[in-house]
Amino acid sequence: MSKSPVVAPQIDEKVAIYANNLNFVYNPKSPFEKHALKDISLSINKGEFVAIVGHTGSGKTTFVQHLNALVRHQSGDLFVAGLNLADKKLDLKKLRGSVGMVFQYPEYQLFADTVLEDVAFGPRNFGVAREDAYKLAKNALETVGLDFEQIKSKSPFDLSGGEKRRVALAGVLAMKPQILVLDEPTAGLDPQGKREILSLVKSINKQNDITVVMVSHDMNEVYENADRVIVFRDGGVVYDLPPRQLFKLEDQIVSMNLEIPQMAQFTNALEKQGIVLPDDCITVDQIFDALCQLKGGSNV
Amino acid sequence: MFRDVTFGQYYPKNSFVHNMDARIKLVLCLLFMVGIFFVQSYVGFALVTVFLMVVILASKVPLKSILKSVKGIVVLLILTAMLNIFFTKSGNVLVSWWIFTITDEGLIYASKMLLRLVYLVIGSSVLTLTTTPVDLTHAIERLLAPLKVIKFPVHDLALIMSLTLSFIPSLIDETDRIIRAQKARGADFDTGNLFQRAKAFVPILIPLLVGGFRRAEELANAMNSRCYEGATNRTQMRVMKLSWRDLVASLVCIIVFGGIIVVYAMKATWQPILPWMYF
Repeated sequence: MSKSPVVAPQIDEKVAIYANNLNFVYNPKSPFEKHALKDISLSINKGEFVAIVGHTGSGKTTFVQHLNALVRHQSGDLFVAGLNLADKKLDLKKLRGSVGMVFQYPEYQLFADTVLEDVAFGPRNFGVAREDAYKLAKNALETVGLDFEQIKSKSPFDLSGGEKRRVALAGVLAMKPQILVLDEPTAGLDPQGKREILSLVKSINKQNDITVVMVSHDMNEVYENADRVIVFRDGGVVYDLPPRQLFKLEDQIVSMNLEIPQMAQFTNALEKQGIVLPDDCITVDQIFDALCQLKGGSNV
Repeated sequence: MFRDVTFGQYYPKNSFVHNMDARIKLVLCLLFMVGIFFVQSYVGFALVTVFLMVVILASKVPLKSILKSVKGIVVLLILTAMLNIFFTKSGNVLVSWWIFTITDEGLIYASKMLLRLVYLVIGSSVLTLTTTPVDLTHAIERLLAPLKVIKFPVHDLALIMSLTLSFIPSLIDETDRIIRAQKARGADFDTGNLFQRAKAFVPILIPLLVGGFRRAEELANAMNSRCYEGATNRTQMRVMKLSWRDLVASLVCIIVFGGIIVVYAMKATWQPILPWMYF
């Protein structure tokens, strides 16, 4: 493997995550050895909303857990939020403060007596004074759309499923991360809850300018929200494309046991009939508008 | 992180010992445990050692996995040995310092005790390494069945045991997940004094407990919705059958350990008359 330029991402201020030839092996030199990541090279810019998709066991979770050193770097280059993860003396607190990680079913990590204490747990761990941590918690709870005064002294275990997940999300947002990593944030929620969480993530991404990396199995939510989709298979990156371009590759996607989003199926079918829509036609409304314009009619 | 907790867990193989009936294995294991405390002489220990070696060979479980369980009780072994060495006052004094005296009899007694404990652990881990937890609980249920006469809830007890065992792997996974989640929120388990470290475990223990209750409730609901009813005339999916293996193993064990116990009893009564008896 050739030695790659390790300074590259630091020069470019716009890069949030940069990986070059990243490899990871579970249980090396044992009968249980598993090559989980193979030569991963990718780069994610600040403020981007990137979705990572792939079949179970494709290495996406392993990759995502690299981002805040829950899985320790083995070989290759990895820079996250300006920190070199290959560095032996890596400042873990600084890294984990910059990269907020929302796990699957994050509500199962709630533990404190009150919602306020739970959300303030993160900032307190990073040495923020109690009063300031409470302020951060208040902001975070308001960001996720909860009524602070009403909820702050409730027990997190008395909340509904959707509220719990919001509180857990607030617990990560309160650390003021630059990068937000979400592992299937909508798993187990009803359609309404899914939409709410996604629009929340989207607005966090757009308004607070936080880089979002989202692992998901739901291609529809990937299609409608992500700026870019990275497809993992067998520990490697096979595609790295904007969603519209990616899901035009119907055969390849299906052969990887992934679904084609409904709207992509629709636009792809139209294209086969010779009706080509502009590349920014993702949602129902956008497609509807574009079709009306093609017809030459007015946008009703 | 918690992967190495799994010592003494079932080691899948197809061997003489694996294919034995779990009930017989359990009973013979108990016989072994009792018998080993009747062994006094070197000849007796040699006999038990040979017996254990044969059992381990017949089980096809690598010695390394078996010795792993001995590692778990090293502290206990050292403590036992120390107590035996320092508190045996009879015999010839070898070393004497302050209030401590070491005698030759003390050393011999301590090493015998040590050997017994090690063999005890090896014997029981052969049982757990060659028998699936499910089979083991079935065996216990069957062996305790006579207690049903006095209204002892044998079936419920066995159910509780098998559920407990089946929850262990998922609890380990969950612990791992919670630790990762809290680490991601900056939790620190490795620095600070003892008190701070103990306190750092609260964010792990509470979600774990809550999760445990949640799982238990889900399971209870699932069982209720399938109209599960305890002991009333349930049949077993796996019927336990005795085979020639069980007969052979039982005979060997009964001869070895029955012999040891009989010799011990004879020695106690007859030694004054027949001082040459060696066992």
